[in-house]
Amino acid sequence: MVAVAPTRVAGFNCPNCGAAVERRALTHTRAVACTSCGAVLDPDDPNLVILQEAAMRERIVPAIPLGTRGTFGGHPFDVVGFQYRTIDVDGAIYGWREYVLFNPYQGFRYLSEYDGHWNFIRPLPYWPAEMKDGRIAAAWDGQSYRHFQTALATTRFVLGEFPWRVRVGDRVAVSDFVAPPFLLSRERTSDETTWSHGQYMTGAEVWKACGLETTPPLTTGIFANQPSPFAGKPAAAWRRFAALAALVLLALVGRQVAAAREPVLEERHVFSPPPPAPQPAAGYEPAFVTEAFTIREGGTVEIAVETNLNNAWMALDLALVNTSTGTAVNVDTELERYAGTDSDGVWTEGSPNGTLLVPWVAPGEYYLRVEPAGNAETAFVLRLRRDVVSGLPYALALVALLLWPVFVSVRAASFEARRWQESDAGSGGDDDDD
Amino acid sequence: MSRLYLLVGLGLALAALRADTQGWFGARPSIVNNVPASMRDNPGAYRALYQASPRTIGGK
Repeated sequence: MVAVAPTRVAGFNCPNCGAAVERRALTHTRAVACTSCGAVLDPDDPNLVILQEAAMRERIVPAIPLGTRGTFGGHPFDVVGFQYRTIDVDGAIYGWREYVLFNPYQGFRYLSEYDGHWNFIRPLPYWPAEMKDGRIAAAWDGQSYRHFQTALATTRFVLGEFPWRVRVGDRVAVSDFVAPPFLLSRERTSDETTWSHGQYMTGAEVWKACGLETTPPLTTGIFANQPSPFAGKPAAAWRRFAALAALVLLALVGRQVAAAREPVLEERHVFSPPPPAPQPAAGYEPAFVTEAFTIREGGTVEIAVETNLNNAWMALDLALVNTSTGTAVNVDTELERYAGTDSDGVWTEGSPNGTLLVPWVAPGEYYLRVEPAGNAETAFVLRLRRDVVSGLPYALALVALLLWPVFVSVRAASFEARRWQESDAGSGGDDDDD
Repeated sequence: MSRLYLLVGLGLALAALRADTQGWFGARPSIVNNVPASMRDNPGAYRALYQASPRTIGGK
């Protein structure tokens, strides 16, 4: 950091109002707006020609007082000038404030402020590359910038020193290109085109740099090159999801490989419904028990039922009974199969087959008590297997894991959508600077 | 938050494995104890031992 002696301040009296006018940028200043009456003066003319009378009755007080010294990029700068500019977008007036900063070794820099969003701006020594491959953009120092907005800016109020012949009412076509947190800004008049590069700053950062004890302007909305607080987070969240999803799938694959799927029972039966009312057949008893079978190790038990149902229904009450303990685990299932034709063609409803998964069953000897019911004679097969794999828990785990990266992505996308809503593209304007 | 997500994810993976082996998403059985051995010879007598769930469909 180069030590800079306190700025030599030249001064004179405003020929319009007589107030003292300071001149900090000395020979670099090409216009000075009197801080008292607003008249724009030529500091190089020994007669102090008034370039422009005060054109704006309403006085705007800069949030950073002229004469404030701040440190930016390790260099001290004095705030020597201030202007207020506006653009008209579909009849709505948007205004922002610009501060002219001066360091005798670094030259001029600028601070712009809009709705509490700040940019530290430096003029560029040469023009960035512009691309018009279907979408207007610019490139600088290896970074691509996307066109954000083009508008006609009008100077409404000036105060202090400027390195150009500023006048209230000056109009320039301003085009902004963004690559958050950076900004490229092109200002074009009939005589010249200038480019500048901006970097986003918060009000707190600017106030700290300037050593101000007041409160910076409150921030509202999202600015063009405001860095997203969610940048990089969606990618990181999806990487973590991928890792955890791989873990879940690994668990599923492991189970698929290790599961016994051991058949323990297979029996075929035929169900006959009871005789029609009013009297059932004497001795009619649909319930039966299967042969005994052994479940060698504790685990889930799958009961699969296959039937030849056709336009009929069938219900099965099943009890898995441990022959040693006398404990019965009761489950039931209902099957139906209907088919027909209508004006839309063939239709079907239901399924003749079904599967039940009995939660963890202790090892031991069992038999199955079966009580069928239905409205038609039905042949059916009972197949029992132990230790089968259920994919549902893994699917639910993946869905639950998806919630966070989806939330993070939506949040980041919402921020960007709100940013670009303020652009020419978002407002439905033509994304063309010509 | 990322660490919490990883921990929750690890927990979900283990829970999925446990749910699969234990059959957490299987049928909701009811339990009847002390079923007599004689029920094998008289399956119809079992009805008196448990309250079966009412059927939700009765066919068409």
